[in-house]
Amino acid sequence: MTTDAILETNELHKHFGSIHAVDGLNLSVGCGEIYGLIGPNGSGKTTLIRLLIGLLRPTSGSIRLLGEVVPNKAILAQVGYMTQASALYEDLTVCENIAFFAEMCGKHDRAWIDEVIELVDLQDRSRSLVRALSGGLRQRTSLACALAHRPRLLLLDEPTVGVDPQLRATFWSYFRRLAETGVTLIVSSHVMDEAERCDRLGFMRQGKLLAEGSAAKLRSQTGTSTLEEAFLHFAAGSVKGDLR
Amino acid sequence: MSSRRVLTLARRVMRQVLRDRRTAALLVFGPMLILTLGAILFRSKPAAIPLGVVNEDQGLTSPVMGAVVLGQRITDELAASDAFAVVALSRHEVDDRLRDGTVQGVIVFSEDFTAHFLENRQAVLDLRLEGSNPARSMAITARVTEAAMRTLASLAGTGFGVPGAPQVREGEAALPVSVQATYLFGGEEFDTIDFVAPVYIALLAMFFVFLLACVAFLRERSQGTMERLAATPATRVEIVLGYMLGLGLFALIQVAVILFFTVWVLEIHYLGSLGLLFLVIALLAVVGVNLGILASAFARNEFQVLQFLPLVIFPQILLGGTFWAVSDLPGYLQPFAYLMPLYYANRALRDVMLKGWGLVEIWPNLAILIGIAGVLIVMSALMMRREVA
Repeated sequence: MTTDAILETNELHKHFGSIHAVDGLNLSVGCGEIYGLIGPNGSGKTTLIRLLIGLLRPTSGSIRLLGEVVPNKAILAQVGYMTQASALYEDLTVCENIAFFAEMCGKHDRAWIDEVIELVDLQDRSRSLVRALSGGLRQRTSLACALAHRPRLLLLDEPTVGVDPQLRATFWSYFRRLAETGVTLIVSSHVMDEAERCDRLGFMRQGKLLAEGSAAKLRSQTGTSTLEEAFLHFAAGSVKGDLR
Repeated sequence: MSSRRVLTLARRVMRQVLRDRRTAALLVFGPMLILTLGAILFRSKPAAIPLGVVNEDQGLTSPVMGAVVLGQRITDELAASDAFAVVALSRHEVDDRLRDGTVQGVIVFSEDFTAHFLENRQAVLDLRLEGSNPARSMAITARVTEAAMRTLASLAGTGFGVPGAPQVREGEAALPVSVQATYLFGGEEFDTIDFVAPVYIALLAMFFVFLLACVAFLRERSQGTMERLAATPATRVEIVLGYMLGLGLFALIQVAVILFFTVWVLEIHYLGSLGLLFLVIALLAVVGVNLGILASAFARNEFQVLQFLPLVIFPQILLGGTFWAVSDLPGYLQPFAYLMPLYYANRALRDVMLKGWGLVEIWPNLAILIGIAGVLIVMSALMMRREVA
C-alpha cells in the first residue's frame, strides 16, 4: 500500500441490519488516478461513496482521505461530490447553484466558475432556473457544482446517468484532463464502456471487491474479450465461492 | 364517461390517503384537540380579579342605624362576589401594586366618602385601573358599579342613604353611583385591538418563519441538497445559524411593514421603544425558524407541514395569553402556557407597546425567550445529526 495514497480504506464494513452493504473493502487510490467502481445496482457503490465522504459511519474499519482520518469536515473543502440524482436548488439559477457550493467550500473564484460553466457547456443556460432544466442539463449543473471549488479528489456517483452519448464523451475527456492535473477521481458506474476509460477498476458485487486492476489486466486474467464478460466471469466465481 | 374509471380513481385516492395514516388520524383528531381546547377556554370561568381597596372612609352616624361606613359596606359587597379577590391596601401602595400586576384595579374610598354621599346623594367611586387590557378594565368598572348599586339598594328604606328617589337635577344621570376611573397605562381610548395587536404581530412573525423554515428544510431533504450540504465543510450549527439569519431578516421586514400599518394606518396605540420591539420579534423569529427545522424532521411533504398547525401554532394562540389571560385558564392548562414561547413574547410586547416599558422591566421575559431559543437551536442542530456529521 502506497503511503502517498489519496484514498485508503482498511477492512471497511457497513451493515444495515442483516444487509452487508460494504463487506470488508481494502482500497487504495493514488494521486491523479481515475478509479472506476463498477457493479450492478445494489452492489454497494453508493454506500461506499457515502462512507468515503463521511456521510455514513462505518460499522467497522477505517478510511483515510487526503492523509486525514474520516470523518473530517475540513478536508471536505478539497473533495467534490456528485450524487446519483442531481441535488440542486430548484429556485436558484445554474450559476447561483454553482457559486453557492463553491462558497460553502470556502472558494469563490469567479473566473474558475465561468470556466466550469463553459466546460459543462451551460453558458447559454447559466441564468436559467434549475427548475426549468431537463435531466441532462441538471446532471451537467451537478457536475459543475462538484468542481466549483477546485477539489483535489472527486467522488462521482454515476455521473453520466441520463447524459447523452456525446456529452458523456465530453465528460470523460474532461475527467481525463482533470486527472492529468493531479485530481483523483472515483467514478461509479454500471456501464461497461465507461469502465474502459478508467485507469483502474474495482468490480463490486454484494459489498465485496471481486477483482481489481486495469481493464486490460482484468480481461487477460479471465481470457475474455470484453469487460462485461470479465465481470460475469468474476461474479460466477464468487457465486461458486459462496456455495462452497 | 366510465363509472368504472371514476371508481378506480376514487379507490386509488382513498388508498393514498389511508396509506398516509398520520394525515388521516390528524384530520380527525386535530380538530378535536382544538375544539376541546376552545370549549375549555370558552366555558372556563374567569378567575377572580385581584382588586385592591383603600378604605379611609370615616363613615357617619345615623340616628336609625348607628355608625355607617359606606366604604366598608361596598368593600364587603365586593368581597362577597366571585368576580373579585379583594385585597386591602394603603394609599401609597396603589401604583406599585397596579404596576406589578398583583392587583388590576383599586378603589379608593376617601375619608369623607360616606359624608360626601349623604350630602350629594351621589357616590363617586375613585377607581384606579391598570388599564392595559381594555376588556378587563370595562369588566372591573361594570362589576364595581353593580356592587355599589346593590349596597345602596340594601340601605334604601332604612332611613339612611336613599329615602326616596335620588334627587335628579337637570342634565345629570339618575344613577346614584358614578365611577371616576383613572388609568395607570392606556386609558379609556384604548380598545381591544390595542390589546391584541402586539400579539398578532408576534404571532405573524413566528408563524411566517415557522412555515418558511419547515418547507425550506423539507425541500433541502427531498431534493437531495441536504446531502450535498453535508458533503461540504459546513457544520450543523452553521446551517442552523444561516437559516436563522436568512429567514429572521424577512420576519423583521415583515414586522416593520405590519407595524407601520398598524401604528399609522390603524392607529394602534404604541408607546415603547422600537428597538426593543424588534429585539423581541427577532427572538421569536429565531424560535420560529428552529421550531420549523424541528418539525420538518417529522414531515415527508409540504402537505404534512400543514398538519403541524393544530399541534404547534393553535395551542400557542389559545394558551399563550393572546385572548385569554393565562390566570383565567383552568389550573391544569396553566403549565402548558408557561411552555409556549408566544406567552413570553406576548408579555414582553404588551409591556413595550401598551405600557411603554423598557429593558429593565421586560428582561425576565426576554431572558426566558433567549433560553427557549437556545434550547431549540441545540435541539434542531442535534436533529440534523442523522444527515450532517
